[in-house]
Amino acid sequence: MKKHLSVLLMLVLASMLTLAACGDDSASDENDSSGENGGSDEPVTLTFFSSDGQEKAFDDPVAQKITEETGVVLEMDYPVGGNDEAIPLMIAGGEYPDLIFAKGDLGKLIDAGGVIKLDDLIEERGDNLKALYGDQIDRLRNSLDDPSIYQVGTYGVEDEPMKTSGTFQMQLEVLRELGYPEINTLEEFEDALTTYYEMYPEINGQKTLPLSLQGSDWRWLITVGNPAGFAGGFPDDGQWVIDNDTGETTYKFMLPEFKEYFEWLNGMNAKGLLDPESFTQTQDTYISKLSTGRVLSVADQDWNIGDARSALIQDGMENRTFAPLPVTLDESKTHQGLKDYGFAGGWGIAISSTSENQELAFDFLDWMASEEAQILVNWGIEGEHYEMVDGERVMFEEVRESLNTNSDYPRESGVGYYIYPFPQWGTGAVDSNGQSITRDTREQVIDDLLEPEQEALDAYDIELWVDGFPQRDELEVSRHGAAANFSIPSGSDIQIIQQRADDITEQRVTEAVLAEPSEFDQLWDAMIAELEEAGVQQLNEEMTELTQNVRELWGTN
Amino acid sequence: MSKNLTPVTPRGAPLVRGNKSHKNTYAPRKKSFWKRLMNQKALLLMSLPFVIWLIVFRYIPVLGWIMAFQDYKPQNGFLGNEWVGLKHFRDLFNEPIFYRALENTIGMGLLGLVFGTISAILFALMLNEMRFIRFKKITQTISYLPHFVSWVIVANIVTTMLSLEGPINDLLTSLGIFDGPLNFMAQPNLFWGIVTSAEVWKSTGWNAIIYFAAMAGIDPQLYEAAKVDGASRVRQMWHITLPSIRAVIIVLLILSIGNLINIGFEKQMLLGNNIVTDKAIVIDLYALNYGIGMFRYSFGTAIGIFKSVVSVILILIANGFAKRIGEGRVF
Repeated sequence: MKKHLSVLLMLVLASMLTLAACGDDSASDENDSSGENGGSDEPVTLTFFSSDGQEKAFDDPVAQKITEETGVVLEMDYPVGGNDEAIPLMIAGGEYPDLIFAKGDLGKLIDAGGVIKLDDLIEERGDNLKALYGDQIDRLRNSLDDPSIYQVGTYGVEDEPMKTSGTFQMQLEVLRELGYPEINTLEEFEDALTTYYEMYPEINGQKTLPLSLQGSDWRWLITVGNPAGFAGGFPDDGQWVIDNDTGETTYKFMLPEFKEYFEWLNGMNAKGLLDPESFTQTQDTYISKLSTGRVLSVADQDWNIGDARSALIQDGMENRTFAPLPVTLDESKTHQGLKDYGFAGGWGIAISSTSENQELAFDFLDWMASEEAQILVNWGIEGEHYEMVDGERVMFEEVRESLNTNSDYPRESGVGYYIYPFPQWGTGAVDSNGQSITRDTREQVIDDLLEPEQEALDAYDIELWVDGFPQRDELEVSRHGAAANFSIPSGSDIQIIQQRADDITEQRVTEAVLAEPSEFDQLWDAMIAELEEAGVQQLNEEMTELTQNVRELWGTN
Repeated sequence: MSKNLTPVTPRGAPLVRGNKSHKNTYAPRKKSFWKRLMNQKALLLMSLPFVIWLIVFRYIPVLGWIMAFQDYKPQNGFLGNEWVGLKHFRDLFNEPIFYRALENTIGMGLLGLVFGTISAILFALMLNEMRFIRFKKITQTISYLPHFVSWVIVANIVTTMLSLEGPINDLLTSLGIFDGPLNFMAQPNLFWGIVTSAEVWKSTGWNAIIYFAAMAGIDPQLYEAAKVDGASRVRQMWHITLPSIRAVIIVLLILSIGNLINIGFEKQMLLGNNIVTDKAIVIDLYALNYGIGMFRYSFGTAIGIFKSVVSVILILIANGFAKRIGEGRVF
């Protein structure tokens, strides 16, 4: 027994020693490598929390280049499972990462004193940021009461959309089979689905699903709630509809257009055209259904179904990918897919008050706004991801291929990964040689079109899908950006009432859609009554005030 | 049968006779506290770390309860906030969703408790009766496995099994029990049942361990005697196995009744959807969405206090009940 024990002890000791030795090794390695970089210029690690972040190490080629240029290594943190509690917990704990992208929760960080004012820093050393925002810089300001700048905003300045997202989308194959019909209203949309469904009740041996939604979790908002607004001819203001003339803001489900849309959806369900699992399936199930090619249409954001698109292309079913269509309730409505929201302002990266490297963090953000950085994050590294041909940037073929078919590619290579949520130049911006900064140039998007897409576009006699939408100059420019980016003051009732209202609508609208058509009216009216009881009137009034404040702050009233 | 002649204390240790300190029990108590303290100093020292742990991690945080009586904002520090009395409790009790959440929490908690306990005891009984040792061990090991699977995965398995094109619908339709597939996840009235079934599947094997261990401690002579008297297997289970583990069952029941309201929210959040919300919202999820998720730290704390109070009351009731039937109470 004693012998055993001593052997065991020896083993433990030996393993501890080896471990310690390993630790030493790696430590000295690090020192060595930083020594080669030039002595004191050891990279500084900045912690960065992004509300839209993912698990990712800062070690891809683009990241390494960023580190080389700025001496900064990012340690990226993200909310697990898309939860909303990360920022409140951060405030409660009083410990902040160096850089924070808090989206709509920035106001709480400001109240808690968790982030610093950037006005002076921008004035003194923010040349790149000043150049980027130009006269739009007022849109970064916090509020009428406290018009300081706390964040440098994401979303492109000077955006020129080449793609739409979030609209109704139909399989290219359906369009082809039906001889590329004109589809601008829900009625035409439904007719096309019905006809094709009768022709092909099964695809690849499985039941055809004419329309599938993903309304079981938060994606209810993007696949059920938002499409209703697009069909009604409203721009995307989250849960709101805002009158651009008066700034009057209404909780959107109170409007008759929304009732009309969901009545249509109710009919789709009654006719068996809506996937019966639309409100119960998980995202995985949804994506795997789309990937089989048996779902004829969706109403979803492109980024939510990117995996399915990649899978379809890989399986040689390019004709089963989706085409965006400007579908509205009827001819009198104008689709707002190409709406110019102006620079949206409200969301952006802030620097925390507890950071020990505030100036470095600011210089990093400023550098990210520079031309050099923007080319790097959009195109990758010259010679590795793209090359210069006759003074133009041309993506290597295999890189382009990967970007189109592998949805994990940006995460692996870093190409395109660091555009959002950092300060970014829009799709219309050009560099000092007159070259487009982003990859989404008209030529590039045309180059990237799939073959069946090209065929469909030729049949419709347009170059790009956006050409089929009501054009930008027909639509008014938004005077308040987008309501989703408003910073809701903490301690106001807006949040509580809105949460209650959202809970009510997600549940009751779903019920109404799945009910017998004869019961729809009654259920809808009951929901409106319930919303009124929950205080939606007060909500509308307070939001209207908020909208008007934003317009005053931006000088767009 | 000679064994039965030796007096046995309730805990099974033999009574020590002729203890010299025996008379001290009746001595006046003047020095006795310090003396007893010194006598037991080793034991006290050993328990000290745990007492400190308890105070630091279980009692000091209770100070945070004062947040429930303030409008707490982190930037104002601990005592620098406005005192609002019972405002947050009034808000809570005026909230209709809260009562729905309470009903669902207790409903699903009770179902889980009843079926969880019954299934674990039945499983342990069956395992105990099994005579083929290797099979028994393998079965036991396999039955633990679901316990280690995270709820995220379990939820995915359940929704896949119950989906319209899933195996359960296929089976029921092909057997002619259903006319067509039933969308299980869209039936609010089935939600409690689905959650409970998933929980039973996940935890039966694990929960059975402690019952199984208790059964292993039963004196084999009791069974032998019963066999001699001609008792069948079922009779032996009913008259020997179950009564022998009665104390264990009751203690475990009391402990879990105290946790009735702390059923967490993972299962409900992962299995729920907008159709079944009315049956799926539970207190913890409510506290998350309407409390800390909206920076209402005080409101969240008020919910926490409410839960603690309910737990204490439930424990007291259950313990009082156990006291009355004279069986294995906790304190």
